[in-house]
Amino acid sequence: MTSFRINGRPVTPSFPDDTPLLWVIRDGIGLTGTKFGCGIGMCGACTVHVGGRATRSCITPLSAVDGADVTTIEGLDPAGQHPLQKAWIALQVPQCGYCQSGQIMQAAAMLADFPEPSDRDIDAVMAGNLCRCMTYIRIRAAIRQAAGELKGADSHG
Amino acid sequence: MFRRIVIGLALALVLGLGGFAAFAWRPSIAPIARPAASDFSADLVARGAVLASGGYCATCHTTRGGKPLAGGRAMVTAFGTLYSTNITPDPETGIGNWSEEAFRRAMHDGVARDGSHLFPAFPYDHFTKLSDADVHALYAWLMTRPAVAAPARSNALPFPLGIRALQAGWKLLFFKPGRFAPDPAHDAAWNRGAYLAEALGHCGACHTPRNGLGAEKRDAAYAGASIDNWVAPPLTGANPAPVPWTSDELAAYLGTGISRFHGTAAGPMAPVVHEGLAKLSPEDLKAVVRYVASLGGGDARAAEAAPVIAKALVADRSSLGPLADADARLYTAACASCHYNAGTQPNPLRPDLALNSAVSLSDPTNLIRVILYGISAKDGAPAIVMPGFSGFSDADVARICAHLRRTRTSLPPWSDLEKSVARIRAEGRGDY
Amino acid sequence: MAKLGHVSGSAAHPLARRDFLAAAIGTGVAFGFVGLGDAAIDPGNFARAVGTEGPVFAPTLWFGIDREGIVTINIIRAEMGQHVGTALARILADELEADWDKVRILHVDTDPKWGTMVTGGSWSVWQTFPVFSRAGAAGRMALIEAGAKLMGVAPTACLARDGKVVAGGRSISYGEIATRGDLSRRYTPEELGKLPIKPIAERRLIGKPVVAIDIPPKTNGSAIYGIDAKVPGMVHARPLLPPTRYGSKVVSIDDSAAKDVKGYLRALALEDPSETATGWVMVIAETWPAALKAAQLVKVQWTAGDAASVSEKEVQDRGAALIADPKAGSVLDTGGGDVDAMLRTARQKVEATYTTASVLHFQLEPVNALAFEKDGLFEIHTGNQWQSLILPTLAKALGRPEASIVMRTYLLGGGFGRRLNGDYAVPAALAAKALGRPVKMILPRAEDVRYDSFRSPSVQTLRMALGEGGKVLAMDHAATAGWPTQILVPGFMPKGTNGVPYDPFAIAGADHWYDVGAQRVKAIPNDLANTSFRPGWLRSVGPGWTNWAVESFMDEAAHAVKTDPVAFRLAHLTGAGRNAGGPPSAVGGALRQATVVKRAAELAGWGRALPADTGLGIATSFGQERDMPTWTACVARVRVDRKTGMMIVEKLTLAVDAGTVVDPDGARAQVEGAALWGLSLAIHEGTEFVNGQVRDTNLDTYTPLRIGDVPTIEIVFAESAEPPVGLGEPATTVVAPAIANAIFAAVGVRLRHIPMTSEAIMQALSHPR
Ligand code: FES
Ligand code: FES
Repeated sequence: MTSFRINGRPVTPSFPDDTPLLWVIRDGIGLTGTKFGCGIGMCGACTVHVGGRATRSCITPLSAVDGADVTTIEGLDPAGQHPLQKAWIALQVPQCGYCQSGQIMQAAAMLADFPEPSDRDIDAVMAGNLCRCMTYIRIRAAIRQAAGELKGADSHG
Repeated sequence: MFRRIVIGLALALVLGLGGFAAFAWRPSIAPIARPAASDFSADLVARGAVLASGGYCATCHTTRGGKPLAGGRAMVTAFGTLYSTNITPDPETGIGNWSEEAFRRAMHDGVARDGSHLFPAFPYDHFTKLSDADVHALYAWLMTRPAVAAPARSNALPFPLGIRALQAGWKLLFFKPGRFAPDPAHDAAWNRGAYLAEALGHCGACHTPRNGLGAEKRDAAYAGASIDNWVAPPLTGANPAPVPWTSDELAAYLGTGISRFHGTAAGPMAPVVHEGLAKLSPEDLKAVVRYVASLGGGDARAAEAAPVIAKALVADRSSLGPLADADARLYTAACASCHYNAGTQPNPLRPDLALNSAVSLSDPTNLIRVILYGISAKDGAPAIVMPGFSGFSDADVARICAHLRRTRTSLPPWSDLEKSVARIRAEGRGDY
Repeated sequence: MAKLGHVSGSAAHPLARRDFLAAAIGTGVAFGFVGLGDAAIDPGNFARAVGTEGPVFAPTLWFGIDREGIVTINIIRAEMGQHVGTALARILADELEADWDKVRILHVDTDPKWGTMVTGGSWSVWQTFPVFSRAGAAGRMALIEAGAKLMGVAPTACLARDGKVVAGGRSISYGEIATRGDLSRRYTPEELGKLPIKPIAERRLIGKPVVAIDIPPKTNGSAIYGIDAKVPGMVHARPLLPPTRYGSKVVSIDDSAAKDVKGYLRALALEDPSETATGWVMVIAETWPAALKAAQLVKVQWTAGDAASVSEKEVQDRGAALIADPKAGSVLDTGGGDVDAMLRTARQKVEATYTTASVLHFQLEPVNALAFEKDGLFEIHTGNQWQSLILPTLAKALGRPEASIVMRTYLLGGGFGRRLNGDYAVPAALAAKALGRPVKMILPRAEDVRYDSFRSPSVQTLRMALGEGGKVLAMDHAATAGWPTQILVPGFMPKGTNGVPYDPFAIAGADHWYDVGAQRVKAIPNDLANTSFRPGWLRSVGPGWTNWAVESFMDEAAHAVKTDPVAFRLAHLTGAGRNAGGPPSAVGGALRQATVVKRAAELAGWGRALPADTGLGIATSFGQERDMPTWTACVARVRVDRKTGMMIVEKLTLAVDAGTVVDPDGARAQVEGAALWGLSLAIHEGTEFVNGQVRDTNLDTYTPLRIGDVPTIEIVFAESAEPPVGLGEPATTVVAPAIANAIFAAVGVRLRHIPMTSEAIMQALSHPR
């Protein structure tokens, strides 16, 4: 039986060990902000954090996260006010919105590794997140805006 | 770690020998009543616990999700499937009625309490080097574990390989009993490391190639081998990792499961680090590092690292950009979000595939396995996960492997990649 | 050219004719979805919940005001990324002089009272603008009258602002008027039609930046899509699809291995009187993961339909044969003239054939539906673009009247035309009927793709007669492809001048605004395509191929007469004769197209020297409908690597004249998305029909544009007071021809097939004409 923490809360879902984490999160735990797009790790719609790292939950078996810390879009910021979320709203990034939970989770993990990402860094790290509505221009801009805010917060605090 | 082991194909050889039966015969050692936990001092048990970790007892003697040490784990060898046994102190199904003498004989000579020969899937050819004191501590620890009633599963070995008596022939040919002897050419720390690695940790069981009868080739110690459907890379100077394995990198890898230049401890190596070496004292871990570093001579090549790293970071970018070919695009979409690095040093949690051992080995098995099945939070770098891309077609996985080999190394391309992927997929995920 | 609104019997402004009531019509009448309990999740209202009590003042069908002054605006269009609720709501709110912070949007469920429910063709704003502005104006008048009475002043002394009626220093809020006022005034349609619409200068919301109401929930996981729908007691269905779309039959089902899967219930072969999901087997389980696992273990044998032996090449060969057949197809009314004679006698002729590959929608949310019967009503919970189209099919499939079926509305995780065809609702409904339990069905990605109504491959041949000074004397354009409209809504097909019906969506764009003298446009259905798969409408529909051909061909013609491609286009965009345009939405005609062409060229530095192997290419479009043109031009700057054939699209420059821009930021977002779609279709996408199925079923081999492929993009909008027109599509169709034309400018090779590949460039480079 696999146990892990999701958004800080311990859970022991009653699904077989090989169940993709995505469906455990969506159907078992009932958090539907994490989306299903391709099921093979090529669209990023299902991205969550495992141990703080962006992870495609559709190809992660439940057993793999035993003891781990999982964060979904719902847990990224309690008020939905992560600097990335604020930038996403300010720049009106989402179109259909379906990919955006994954985009934001991937971007949040990226900023931990690349606090001041270059265009190339963004292109490389965000390459796994497909946006079928093609909101890429705004995704780039919003990541830069949030990076700026995070940096400002750092230097003041 | 054990699998490719052996059984008596020695049969043909030994059957002809006169007096074989007499030679093979070992007496049974009388059963005892299960010792009480209070028979052992807490100190002794604690020391035994550390040793048991360093010898990975629980790793082999526990099934996935099963009760600790109750046995039953399958070891698929070239000769057939063996199952590890129950080594909890249950008197009926475990080793509760084994005297310390019986236990010591098993460790040092590969003979069970009832006098039958053990298969060398149990690495008594390494444990024979353990000191009596350490065996004593291990005994104390085992006897104080919770007893679990779990009968042994019968091994699936084709006749006549299942005949234990024939193991005696194998021993005659390949087994040299005897305690560890320090090498006076080296200092105490090195010798401590050698003892831990050879006697307790049985590194060679995986990293030393075996002959046709499943015995470690003494003249090729640590030259790398296939094990459990993985590749255990050479620990010698023949290790093809682009960045030399220096003491610092070995210390990081063996201590935490991650080397920023070589990747994370995956597959059968994961429990070695996380359930074994991690439990050793810092001094003992340092000693192991000292010994293993000396095998490959990486420290002497430390200067090679910087230019290789710089080159790798450039290669990292080669898969990006509008000029990318179809394989590069697949790689970038599937892998770059986690494996891309920038700046002057790779991030240890973003394993750099230009430096990763799996890409430079002559056999793509490890790379394919990790792509297909990923690495769980318990393995590799702790608490993080690499997902498995088993939804990819064989051709997709082959394309990614070929792309990495082509763009990240100057080594010859792997042949028949697609077939290898299909074979590894058919083998299944296994226990790792 | 026809559009859905016209043909379905509604007027171009179908809502204008409604009998608007300026009467309090009771609480919640228009809010079928709200208060329905379990499954009733309104996708549009996560940011700001609808007022608890519901509106007490609903002067028209389109909005209501509650006691707190919350204005809830009913949206019949699907939200799939265009922020349509916000765009439409602010039209109404502007006229109503509402306080934007108190405006809520409600994406309503199906109900005959809404009229035709369809979202596509970039028509939403264009069709709704006149209706919603009058509805808002009616509300404002009624509120001023009632507010004046409450304050004891004359209506003429009052004005409305920010959700209040103001008279001098006094004011009364809309909420209070709704609570206390007498709101029984009725407006006849005639009165409504005469209601004063505010002058542009008085607009307070239209054209001003606001945050789209649907955006915040799309950043925190709270937005609810069809795939998130749930209802207690539902079971989960994972379909197994037959080998061909048509004509497959289930021979046997062996589910013995699946029985070991915990939660597995059964494998159900669907009987479908509507023939929408022929040959489907639904693997049913208590949980979705169990359904997924069981599906791997259920073995189904089918017999396949005829398409099992059809390939893309055969479809295209059939298209070419049809084009060669003078009797085939429907001739559009383009003014006529003796095209054949001109082509016989002209001093110079150009002819070329263009092709496009099969293209998938690949909307990111795979299609899905939740269906169940409750209290005599069959409920379908799903995101859909054309509810009015699928309801009759659902009625046929379920064997019950349309009136007893309701489609509940959810956000769409991408539409792009895929969800105009609501076929995916049918198997879920059939399974729910067969099992007598709620069934939630999701198509895993490969199944979603295999069931896609993908964009048909196409073949087109264009011919041109040129005279003195490079003047075009005649143009002939024959286009063939699978026709979605013929398959799904044959009643929507107008007749050509030869009496043969045609699919307006398959030929739109061929009736361009260039003066070309005698002109013949022939639309030919590819019968093999139509019978082998189900062709679909895909973002920008017909112009996805017609404009590829027209704009590549204009370039070829310009080069043939040694004229600059921009100058050549401008010389033929004179706004003369049938290209003069006119009201309501095409005022200015081809001259406005000429303006965007000039603008894009200027901005892109047309005519300036460029580095080696780098070229600029131009293309332009009017969108899809001649009476609703969105004038668009694009210049692509492309560098070609001669060693590999790789093309690097360095920059796209777009100039757009879409009339009044209701939502500037949203408009830009739509053009960004459309242009990048165009780029994706031009060089990254494209699959092939192989033996009854498309070749690529997931993102490992189907490779839409990703973030690293995005070039520099510059977009400018024309300042305009003309009526607003659609923006979601036109920029899609200019990119491919602009790139092809740029490649020609860069290295002198002409590509006539999309997607354009480096292999094609290499081949062309090694075989110079
Ligand atoms: S659904 Fe997981 S990557 Fe696409
Ligand atoms: S916003 Fe629609 S897929 Fe990204």
